[in-house]
Amino acid sequence: MMMRIDEQETFAQSPNNDSEAVLSVNGVSKKFCRNLKRSLLYGVQDIAAEVLGLREESDKLRSQEFWALKDVSFQLRPGEALGLVGKNGSGKSTLLRIIAGLINPDTGSVEVRGRVAPLIALGAGFNPILTGRENIYANMSILGLSKKEIDDRFDAVVDFAEIGEAIDAPVRSYSSGMAARLGFASAIFTEPDILLIDEVLAVGDAKFRTKCYQKLSKLRSLGTSFVLVTHSAPAIISICENSLYLSKGRLLANGDSNTIIKKYEQELFSTNNSNNSNAFVRSNSSNTSKAYIKAITWRNSANQILSSPSVGENVSLEIEITSLEEFHQLSLNIMIRDLRSDSTVLHFISDRDGMKFDIPSGKSFIRLETPKFRLSAGFYVAKLTLNGPNFYVVDMIDDYRFSVLSGREVDLLESLFFQERKWEIIRSPSPDSKKTEKL
Amino acid sequence: MGNYNSNKLHKIQLQHRALSKVVYTPRSRLKHPVKLFQEMCRDLLGSQELAWRLLVRDISAKYRQSFLGVIWAFLPPIVTAAGFTLAKNGGVINIGDTSLPYPAYVMFSMTLWQTFVEALNGPVQAVTAAKSMLARIKFPREALILAKLGEVFFNFGIKLILIIGLFIWFQMPVNWSIFLAPVALIHLVILGTFLGLMLAPLGALYQDFSMGLTLITGFWLFLTPVVYPVPRDGVFGAIVKLNPVTPLLMTTRELATTGVISNPQGFWVASSLAIVGLLLAWIFYRLAIPYVVERISS
Repeated sequence: MMMRIDEQETFAQSPNNDSEAVLSVNGVSKKFCRNLKRSLLYGVQDIAAEVLGLREESDKLRSQEFWALKDVSFQLRPGEALGLVGKNGSGKSTLLRIIAGLINPDTGSVEVRGRVAPLIALGAGFNPILTGRENIYANMSILGLSKKEIDDRFDAVVDFAEIGEAIDAPVRSYSSGMAARLGFASAIFTEPDILLIDEVLAVGDAKFRTKCYQKLSKLRSLGTSFVLVTHSAPAIISICENSLYLSKGRLLANGDSNTIIKKYEQELFSTNNSNNSNAFVRSNSSNTSKAYIKAITWRNSANQILSSPSVGENVSLEIEITSLEEFHQLSLNIMIRDLRSDSTVLHFISDRDGMKFDIPSGKSFIRLETPKFRLSAGFYVAKLTLNGPNFYVVDMIDDYRFSVLSGREVDLLESLFFQERKWEIIRSPSPDSKKTEKL
Repeated sequence: MGNYNSNKLHKIQLQHRALSKVVYTPRSRLKHPVKLFQEMCRDLLGSQELAWRLLVRDISAKYRQSFLGVIWAFLPPIVTAAGFTLAKNGGVINIGDTSLPYPAYVMFSMTLWQTFVEALNGPVQAVTAAKSMLARIKFPREALILAKLGEVFFNFGIKLILIIGLFIWFQMPVNWSIFLAPVALIHLVILGTFLGLMLAPLGALYQDFSMGLTLITGFWLFLTPVVYPVPRDGVFGAIVKLNPVTPLLMTTRELATTGVISNPQGFWVASSLAIVGLLLAWIFYRLAIPYVVERISS
């Protein structure tokens, strides 16, 4: 009985909700071609088909084409914020550009109600020779505002962008941060019904970013809907209730942001380490330098190879180097980023630690011991650079991905890193007679 | 901070702005001609203010970066006229008699020709220059063209000073028909815009178009009676007569000076071609731009 009522309710509600959606994307696909010459040729073909009125939905790929988007459907309701996650090239920007009406879909349809403002285009149409004032007028006109509307907003824009006196100086004389702030302010004060935000929240300093987020949340409370594309998981989780996960143009998952982000991170990791081990072995074909990093392995204190380091364990990172000739005074940089927050958590520079390596011809190993491993459980990506003197880069590995397991030591929940710890209670009066409770 | 109240304004906007619904589909928009036509009218009307902004932006940027400024508008006709007058007087080239004093004839014709070339190059230049804007923002695409047209007329306005100077210096007769000259001039600009609009989308894809255009206009100049009077006969005369720029340019010149139109029929044929062509080119431009944006990416 309960079931039936639920069903009836959802049945009764859904058509109503559909009609309210400010944005509804139905089975949208888009094909692209990576070969420039062919791509241009297809462009001319498409124009010809459009002009002759022949163009219809087309499901077939021409030679060298691929689906940049395939059968993507979702809806956006007023005041809703939707996150869009996926690796580079998964079709996020293409989707935004179709929604913005910049390009036509190849199949499916997009229905938009109200004004869409893309925050993809900060400072589009800025002319460096003109002053900030002139550029605000030009840029906001391009975004669809009348002179009167711009007059009304002008002071607020200048104030928000923190430009001050420089407003009558040419934009050429602005710092990159100032120009970006002015672009963001002009765009956000157009106050659209749907705001498309593509990786632009990295504008300016932390203070300005906070201001941007505040402005966004204010707009949202006034009923503006958002589609947000960013690599920053915390931003998505804090702004959007729901998220879409795109991979190779397909919509893999659609649902609550926390779940989607978790899924995204897992797949981000697993696709790069299919055997689920953190060992890295460079294939022979992919190097051109005289000395290169051949393999990376984690080892425990007993020198056994680990599939993953665990929190609090005494581990070491072993880097195998193959060299065709002798090298002197090499330095190794290891920069570790947290995949979740997309921020650098550790940066080892052997040079700064007073270590320079003389590498003999043939095979050699560099070992980095990291006792009581402090990184908390999660996914990380390391960038390893083998540097010669004078900033000469001998070899570089951009994305060595590894996971850290929670291990025997109890990891700290909601903590940035692992801290080895010991609790005790000290009974007065004598500190000698103490009882230790080890966790 | 002004007295601008974001909350209030936004709420008013949300209430009053009837949420316009737009649907994007893969089907050719030619299949809904009525809707296409409505959208074209709406965008043309809606793009005036933006076009004005872009015009002001482009012109002020142009002159702010130039030392000689407006003098550049005068120099080409003067230099051309000086060159050809010297050559003619020296007997190097043999040019028949013109209805006006020769230097004035060349300067005036050259000004008109330049205006035509600007109208022709305008759309290609506008689209190429605005590539990144086109790839990121949806705005009425007509604005780019209108802004360029504004620039063409602005430049002509400056050249007008030269023309008035010419009339005074050479004491040229002025006829009441001079008031009709702007009509013919507009037809000349329409012809240029028509051809330019056809080329603009393809020109944004392939550089060949802008390179070819420079080459062709250079050659085209010699098929147009700019530095010589209209040839009466021969194969060359026939080619010059078939050139649609010839009747439009001639009529503008004749209306402004003698008032006797030598080829009214040719003028109307060329004008109709230009006007019908412009309409078709406008549709073509509108339909083609999204595919251009798709290929140029941001």
